[in-house]
Amino acid sequence: MRLLRDLGRRKLRSGLTITGITIGIMALVVFGSMANKIDALVKGGSDYYKDKVTVSAKGGYMGVGGVLSTRMVDQISALDGVDVVTADVAMLLSDEQSGVSMGTPPMISGSIAGADKGREKFQMFYATGRALTTQDEGSDVVVLGSDLARQDKASVGGTVTLRGVQFKVVGILEPTLTAPDNEAMVPMTAAQQLFVKTLPTLIADKLSANEIATGLVVYPKAGVDPQKIADEINAAISGVTPMTGKDFDKQIGAATSMLNAILIGIGLISLLVGGLSVINTTAMSVAERTREIGIKRAIGSSRWRIRREIVVESALIGLIGGLLGLGLGYLITTLGNDAGRESATILFDLTFGTAFSSVAFATILGALAGFIPAWGASRMDPVTALRYE
Amino acid sequence: MAILEGRNLRKTYRLSRRNTVEALKGVEISIEAGEMVAIMGPSGSGKSTLMHILGLLHAPDPNHGPAPELYLAGQNVASLSDNARTKIRARRMGFVFQDFNLIPTLTALENVLLACDYAGIRGKQAKQAGLEALALVGLAERADHKPSELSGGEQQRVAIARALVNKPEIILADEPTGNLDSDRSAEVLALFREFNREHGQTIVLVTHDAEVGEACDRVIRMRDGRIRDNGQRVATPAAAVTALPAVAVPA
Repeated sequence: MRLLRDLGRRKLRSGLTITGITIGIMALVVFGSMANKIDALVKGGSDYYKDKVTVSAKGGYMGVGGVLSTRMVDQISALDGVDVVTADVAMLLSDEQSGVSMGTPPMISGSIAGADKGREKFQMFYATGRALTTQDEGSDVVVLGSDLARQDKASVGGTVTLRGVQFKVVGILEPTLTAPDNEAMVPMTAAQQLFVKTLPTLIADKLSANEIATGLVVYPKAGVDPQKIADEINAAISGVTPMTGKDFDKQIGAATSMLNAILIGIGLISLLVGGLSVINTTAMSVAERTREIGIKRAIGSSRWRIRREIVVESALIGLIGGLLGLGLGYLITTLGNDAGRESATILFDLTFGTAFSSVAFATILGALAGFIPAWGASRMDPVTALRYE
Repeated sequence: MAILEGRNLRKTYRLSRRNTVEALKGVEISIEAGEMVAIMGPSGSGKSTLMHILGLLHAPDPNHGPAPELYLAGQNVASLSDNARTKIRARRMGFVFQDFNLIPTLTALENVLLACDYAGIRGKQAKQAGLEALALVGLAERADHKPSELSGGEQQRVAIARALVNKPEIILADEPTGNLDSDRSAEVLALFREFNREHGQTIVLVTHDAEVGEACDRVIRMRDGRIRDNGQRVATPAAAVTALPAVAVPA
């Protein structure tokens, strides 16, 4: 309490120092949250692709872009070591989606419920409503990812329009922090119908809608290396690109680790600047109080006490700055995410770990910053300190 | 009995590589318990340096010749560690300076309590002692004022209260009236005189002011880093240090 009061009595200096730390920690919180979000996205994808092989048409990517046939399901099922194969249809939610975005763009995806025979380990939780079932095939119903639902202000029982067709919302997912948050999941047949409409008429006429797939998911039997299956697929079928979890990690991981490095770099620079400003202001405020330290030493304060006073005070400044920075960072990430929701771009994921370590970092940095000048001040001869002007 | 006794006290300050100042060139001094002594001399005569050594703010130089000796109530304190000297300053000595040296961000009472805190007295006991010490110097009403809200004379009285609050064996004052007009000087001097007469407090004053010297039991005169005149005691000191009324005694 006395410490807080002392800080209050040196309003300007304490205020400036705290502001410096606040800004540094705010930057750390914001950039840290951004890196968290990217990590969660990548980890979600990495976990999803780990135990399977996804097949897309050559030139397509991650099951989007080219057209495959559902007949390939049987073809691949016959390969050695393959357990289950499912087909799905995925397309962009709208053609106006720009190719550049943080994370994954909003998608429509269709698959037959239960076709994976329980092999899919990626669990989804329903905030409201229910999952799609095989009985839904043939009807226009949809399960919405959390971000899409929020963006469309959709609720179970209401309707949404996907590529010009009205769908009844039967379920809304809990946030997963990865791709499904931006997905509208529809039955396979509905997705095939929507997909055909995206194709040029000349091509569409030659296809039967119920055979269309844009991607296949291949689940290997237990103990079979997905890479072996991918090689088999390459050998057996032409015009397709199989992709394993390792391929995903290599492609996406490389791209995002670059971005992460930049973000962490910015965060670290702001920290360094923040840290130096704490050291600087603490050193200055100790120098300003040299005489005061001399008085205290003369009337009987031990060196240890002088050190403790300065270190505790600067740690307290760090703590206050850290908490304010966290508060501001929280405000920015929350406002940012709210604004981004309109375009389904969620940029930030402020985790407890990020929040806690930012504040802890500010406090420790403050204490360390105080320690250096405190050490010097406590070593000073009391008479010299007393004469200091 | 001598409460402070020093022999072979020397101090050389090094101002730069080649420029050194011999502030004390071998001083022998003895101060009796209950005495009120003035140390006088022109600027640069070494009187402040001597006070700093007597107050354990400085250690005397370890001499090439005879080793320095400094006894506080019989205990040799010439070569104690910084920690041990700090403890003695906190518990057994009180300091008053020319420019008051109060902490500007603390109130009068908080300034006084700082001395209690360093001596290991805290809480209610300290607060009571602090208020009583301020009452002794006539500033009970001003306890919650900051130094900037007090006149020079009042600030110096706060500093005296701070020096007294732990009922130290010795009070050392460096030009305590140097920044005060003659009326305020007389007040401060009267306070010292009162504590010395009524409570047997040992007081060592460094001063320029002949009037201050006259008010003391004895005047020690210095010149060029040596004591020229040890002075004659003019009054009988009180027999022993008795407790200051109602001021807490450190355990």
